[in-house]
Amino acid sequence: MDVVLRAEDIHKSYGKTKVLKGVSFEVGRGETKVICGPSGAGKSTLLRCLNLLTRPDKGRVWLEDVELTSPSVNINKMRQKIGFVFQEFNLFNHLTALDNVMIGLTKVKKLPKDEARRIAKEALLTVHITEDLWNKYPAQLSGGQKQRVAIARALAMDPVIILYDEPTSALDPHLIGEVLEVMKELARRKVTGLVVTHEIGFALSVADEIMFMYNGRIVERGPPKEVVFNPKHEVTARFFKRISELYGGRK
Amino acid sequence: MFWAYVPYMLAGVLWTFALVGGGLGLGFLIGLPIAIGQVYGGRVVKAFLDVYVWFFRGVPLLVLLFLFYWGVFPALGHKLPALEASIIVLGLRSGAYQSQIFRGAIESVGEGQMVAARSLGMSRVSAILHIILPQALRIAIPGWTNEYAILLKDSAICFTLGVLEILTRTRYVVIATGEALLPYITAGFLFIFLTYGGTKVFNVIYEKTRIPGLVWRM
Repeated sequence: MDVVLRAEDIHKSYGKTKVLKGVSFEVGRGETKVICGPSGAGKSTLLRCLNLLTRPDKGRVWLEDVELTSPSVNINKMRQKIGFVFQEFNLFNHLTALDNVMIGLTKVKKLPKDEARRIAKEALLTVHITEDLWNKYPAQLSGGQKQRVAIARALAMDPVIILYDEPTSALDPHLIGEVLEVMKELARRKVTGLVVTHEIGFALSVADEIMFMYNGRIVERGPPKEVVFNPKHEVTARFFKRISELYGGRK
Repeated sequence: MFWAYVPYMLAGVLWTFALVGGGLGLGFLIGLPIAIGQVYGGRVVKAFLDVYVWFFRGVPLLVLLFLFYWGVFPALGHKLPALEASIIVLGLRSGAYQSQIFRGAIESVGEGQMVAARSLGMSRVSAILHIILPQALRIAIPGWTNEYAILLKDSAICFTLGVLEILTRTRYVVIATGEALLPYITAGFLFIFLTYGGTKVFNVIYEKTRIPGLVWRM
């Protein structure tokens, strides 16, 4: 297996609160892995430690063969290769959908405008944002459209991996489907992804592995069907029972 | 006869414009970097900038004018003409006030915008330039309009250095004609008109640069 992202013994504390207590895992090229667990388990912090938006106190992160946590690494250079999709979308308010996707290409990758525009349009079409929406500003888009533009913004950079931080949690229920659909398509196209989500249906249909986090640690991991339907750990069982009661086993 | 002096008074508008334009412009060049430093700078930088803002917001304008015109500038070896000295003092002071307008604007852009920019691989400087400032400057326009209206009338205090702006000329006319009421009323109307016209212009800029659909949460 060609490992593209490797985390080794990640620790992070805020003051006296230990948020991460030694997390290790890896993601192979083309894989989609899902992290789930109750709030406060450290999922978002873990994700932010992977592209060093938050610097881990201890532990190491590799992207392909570069150690990101090494002090000599140019982190701006490396972050170009790690897509990040936020729960709150965080589209740039003052830019149109198209410019949101283009700005990373022109200002970070320094591509010529024409080429950037071509790549951006392609990325927008991949996430089913049609031409009539390209010149809309974020405030004129629905939540589902915003999140798909955000995915396109990450995708256009041609990243090694895309990290998704609860990408559907801020969406109205009827808009979740369109975002999950796009994410599933990317997973099937073997775009490597690491997804923090409570959408079990998504995990069951495309994930190669579920990692269940609790209290700053990965307490259980394995094939999605195994972890969801036959959990070994008590907290895992309780969590998935609650989730399935809530969602009624939506796929 | 007072009416013969009206063109003389009107000519003061140009001087007032020089004071306000110069003061606002210089204040912008000082205030924006201060705001950026106060939001994103280290502890030492912040402390230093706080002192600047504290001083220029705390000392009365009249005192600043006298202090710089007769004290600081001569001590630096340049006894500046009244107009230049006034513009610099107005700018230094307006910079302190403008910095707080811009700081508030930058802070209301929201942390998520910076984090998203960094996640794309943008450097801090690039993110401030391409993502934060284009939004913050738009947010700052109403506050900035207010600063224009305030600075316009503050500029009248430069009569104490004999700058030939509206109020200085008004006083000369009063002395020349022996009439007080009409000249001061005229001066008052000039200021009202300039305030009205200027704020109108800024409101047009605000509307033109508005981001479609967006309501800032402040």
